[in-house]
Amino acid sequence: MNNPGGPLGQEMPIVIVTYRDVFQWVAKQKGISSSDYQDRSTIVRMSSSDMKVLGIVDDAPVRLRTSLGEVVVRAKSDPGCKQGFGFMPASPYSNKLASYDPVKGRLPNFKRIEVVVAPTDEKVDSSQTG
Amino acid sequence: MGLAQFVCTGCSCLCDDIKIDIEENRIVRIENACIKGTSFLYAGDNFERRAPFLVSGCNVPLEEAIEKAAHLLREAGRPLIFGLDNCTLEAQAMGIALAQALGAVSDDVSSFSHGALVQGILDGDIPTCSFPELKNADLLIYWGCNPYHSHPRHLSKFSYYSHEKWVEAGWVPEVAISCVEVRDTETTSLCNRVFKVEPGGDGDFIGKILAAVGGREDSKESKAFVELTRNSAFGVIFVGLGLIYALDNDLSLFTEMLSELNRWTRFAVIPMIGHFNTLGFNRSLYEKTGYINKVSFAAGISHGDEFSFLEQTRNRVPDCVLIAGSDPFSSQPRSLMRNLEGVPIICLDPFVTSTTMAAEVVFGTAISGLETDGKAVRMDGTVVSLLRGRTPEIPSDEEILSQLLDRIS
Repeated sequence: MNNPGGPLGQEMPIVIVTYRDVFQWVAKQKGISSSDYQDRSTIVRMSSSDMKVLGIVDDAPVRLRTSLGEVVVRAKSDPGCKQGFGFMPASPYSNKLASYDPVKGRLPNFKRIEVVVAPTDEKVDSSQTG
Repeated sequence: MGLAQFVCTGCSCLCDDIKIDIEENRIVRIENACIKGTSFLYAGDNFERRAPFLVSGCNVPLEEAIEKAAHLLREAGRPLIFGLDNCTLEAQAMGIALAQALGAVSDDVSSFSHGALVQGILDGDIPTCSFPELKNADLLIYWGCNPYHSHPRHLSKFSYYSHEKWVEAGWVPEVAISCVEVRDTETTSLCNRVFKVEPGGDGDFIGKILAAVGGREDSKESKAFVELTRNSAFGVIFVGLGLIYALDNDLSLFTEMLSELNRWTRFAVIPMIGHFNTLGFNRSLYEKTGYINKVSFAAGISHGDEFSFLEQTRNRVPDCVLIAGSDPFSSQPRSLMRNLEGVPIICLDPFVTSTTMAAEVVFGTAISGLETDGKAVRMDGTVVSLLRGRTPEIPSDEEILSQLLDRIS
C-alpha cells in the first residue's frame, strides 16, 4: 500500500460534495475514455488554506481515500471552498469513494463523502475506476 | 431537409423550439439548443457512441437479442425493471406492463432523487405551477441546484431572463432571484440575495426560518429569508438534489416551511429533474398503482423502500435486471453496483455506457425525440409531444419492450 501520508506525511480529513459540471457532461458525450472527460472528472476543488497545510500547489496529485476505495486526482484551489470541504464533479471517480446509506435517507452519500486526502507522487490513471 | 422544429430530450426542460437541419440522415446544423442538448444530439451521429445489439459482448441480429432477453426474463424468479427515465411515455407504459406481466419490481431514478418531492406534488401536499405561470412570479429561488450546469436554458427560456416585466431601464428582469447554496456558483453570482449554508445544513436553515416566522429566531439569514418571502406575492422554489440529499430524503420540514410561506404568499415548487421523462414515469406508475416508484408486482401491488433499485441491489435480491433509459453503473456508488456482478442485465440505451458495458444483452435503441415520436412530461408537469427529426432503422425502446412483452406473455 502506498504511503497514505504522501511524501511529507501530511494527510487530513475533508468532506467531499459532488456537483454537476455541464462541460464534463458534454465531454462524456464523446465517450468516458475521452481525455477531456477524464481531465474534467479527475479534480477536487479545495480551500487554499487546506492545500497549504498539505504542502501542495494547484494541479498537484492527491490521493483521496475512504474505506471503500481510493482515487488519485488533481487538487484545484477554490477561493469559495471552506476549510474541511472539497468539491468534485460527479463521476466514476467520486462514485468509487461514495457509499450508500441504507438507514436514514436510503441515498448514496454524494453530498457528504468523508475522505482522507494526502499528497501523492502517483499519476492520475483512468483505469483506477475499475 | 430544411430546419425542422423539434423537442430536445437532453433534460427535463424539453425545449420545444429546437431547429435541426438534417442531410443524408446526419445533423448538419442545430439552432437554439444549449451546449448540453447540442452535444447530446450530435453524439447520435457518432457511430462509435451508438450501442449495437449484443449478447455476451458479441454483435447479434435483433431477433437473437430479443430471444435471449426474453429467455432471461422468463427464467428469472426475482426480476427487476429499472429506469425508463429517458424513455417516452409510450415506452414507459410498455415497461410497466412488462413488469406487471413478470411480477417484477419496478423502480426508477426518482427513488434516489426527486421522488419524495414528486410524490408530495402528486398527492397535493406540495404546490407546484407550470412554466407559463412563472411570468407572474416576483421571486425565484434556486435551492440546491445550479441551473447553469444542470439545465442551461432554464433561466433564459423559462424563468429569469424570459420574464415579461423588466425594470424601466431594461437592465434586468423585474423579479427577485435568490438561491440557497453550499458553494459559489454561476447562479450565486447572478442572484440578488444568496443564502449560503453548510453542506448538509439545509435542515438547520429551514428550522431557523420556521423559528423566525414564529418570532423565536433572530439570526440575520433566516430573518432575511422570511422578509424576502413576505415582500413577494408569488414565489417559486426550484429544488435540486442538493436540498433532497441534505434533508436525507425527508421533506417534512421543507413541506412545513412551504405551508407557513403559503399563509401570506403564494409559493410553488418545481423539481429540477435531470432525466427528460422521470416525471412521466412517476405519473404513469402513479396512475396504475397509486405509487410513483418502488413497486413490486410479485403479489398484486406492493410498495416500499425494499423495492427501491438501490435497496434491491444492496440486498442482492434480483436475479435478472432490465435497465432502460438510465445508466446506474455510471452514476451510482461502485461499492453498491458491484453487487450486480454475476446478475444478468438487459440494457436498452441509444449509447454505449458503463451500464451497457456491464450488460449481458444490449439493445441499441433510437434516441427518443430525435429518432422517435412519443410524449414526455416536462419538469413542470406539462405533457410535451415529441416529433422525430429522422427515421433510422433502429427500433425504439417502446418497440423492444413491446416485443419482450409479447414473448413472455
